Amino acid sequence: MELFELKQQWKKTGSLPTTHNHNIMEMIRHNSNGPVAVLKQSYRRQAAIMLVLPIAMTLINLSNIGSALSSVLFWTYVAFCVAVAIYAGYNYRVVATLDETDSMVKQHLEKTIAVLETRMRQNVTGVKIALLIFIVLTEVLPYIQHFPTLDYWHGLSPFIRFGAYALLILSQHFSLRRMSYLKFGQHIERLKELVRQME
Amino acid sequence: MNTVENKEAERQFEAHLREHERLIEKICSIYVFTEADRQDLFQEIVIQLWKAYPRFKGESSFGTYLYRIALNTAIAGLRKKKDFIRPYEPEKLPHQADDNDSAIAEEQHQLLYRSIGKLNEVEKAIVLLYLEDKSYREMETILGMTEGALRVKMSRIKDKLRQLTK
Repeated sequence: MELFELKQQWKKTGSLPTTHNHNIMEMIRHNSNGPVAVLKQSYRRQAAIMLVLPIAMTLINLSNIGSALSSVLFWTYVAFCVAVAIYAGYNYRVVATLDETDSMVKQHLEKTIAVLETRMRQNVTGVKIALLIFIVLTEVLPYIQHFPTLDYWHGLSPFIRFGAYALLILSQHFSLRRMSYLKFGQHIERLKELVRQME
Repeated sequence: MNTVENKEAERQFEAHLREHERLIEKICSIYVFTEADRQDLFQEIVIQLWKAYPRFKGESSFGTYLYRIALNTAIAGLRKKKDFIRPYEPEKLPHQADDNDSAIAEEQHQLLYRSIGKLNEVEKAIVLLYLEDKSYREMETILGMTEGALRVKMSRIKDKLRQLTK
């Protein structure tokens, strides 16, 4: 059977009434279950967690609030959380533009790829920078303020400390690559393949 | 948008959609294999159509707007499921075969449907628009592919389907 023969049957079934009783008004009250909605939800959750964490830290240290509020580490932590929350909010807004699905299919795919690739790149850079800040802080903080918890670490040989940092950076590099692939990379590959099929 | 305007928009949207309900079902039948997945995709397309509805200014036809959103949702917006473990369930259509239609013809239709199911997402979109009797020009405005690329693809799809239905 050829495709043009199926066209006749297709036309016939197209004019038949539906057998399903779709409740359209009920459907539009549901939230989307698509990948864009999932990604938006993850950014929303990330922003919420990052805003709650400093509050939780403050509550934990409530008995010794004066010391916590004069700690460089505490304020660095608060600044980091707020920066991540703002960045998550920004990502949410950018990803939300992918909800505009009324453009041509190929253009929509290309836009999705560009948005996801930028998110992936910035995500990787952000996490790498966060680790570097953590390392610099660990090394520099004892010169600014005394932290008993860092005494043991600073008592170790610099070779061991910097070796551990190098190992941490290396393992982060590989785990980040894997995680980025799972979260973005595999979807980007699939979308790029679709665009290739359209050329 | 106030409540009255919102109600009016909902009413217009439902009326528009009722006219094209069967079309959305047909798109779902091309892209997913089980009844449950078809219902999920149908709902997702309706949600996306509703979200985009305030931007629908009538510059293009409602059909073009619907095809774009439905195909974008089906192609890129659908989370990849392990379709290979899902058995193909033919769509339950009312009087799919006329009384005079032979069982062999019906079987051939099903074989062709199953073969279409084996095509990739882009090829399925092209077949769908072909079956909907869309011109290459109309396909171009929906898919964003050039007319030349569409003609080449269409010819390859026909060959592929011939091979698959042999």
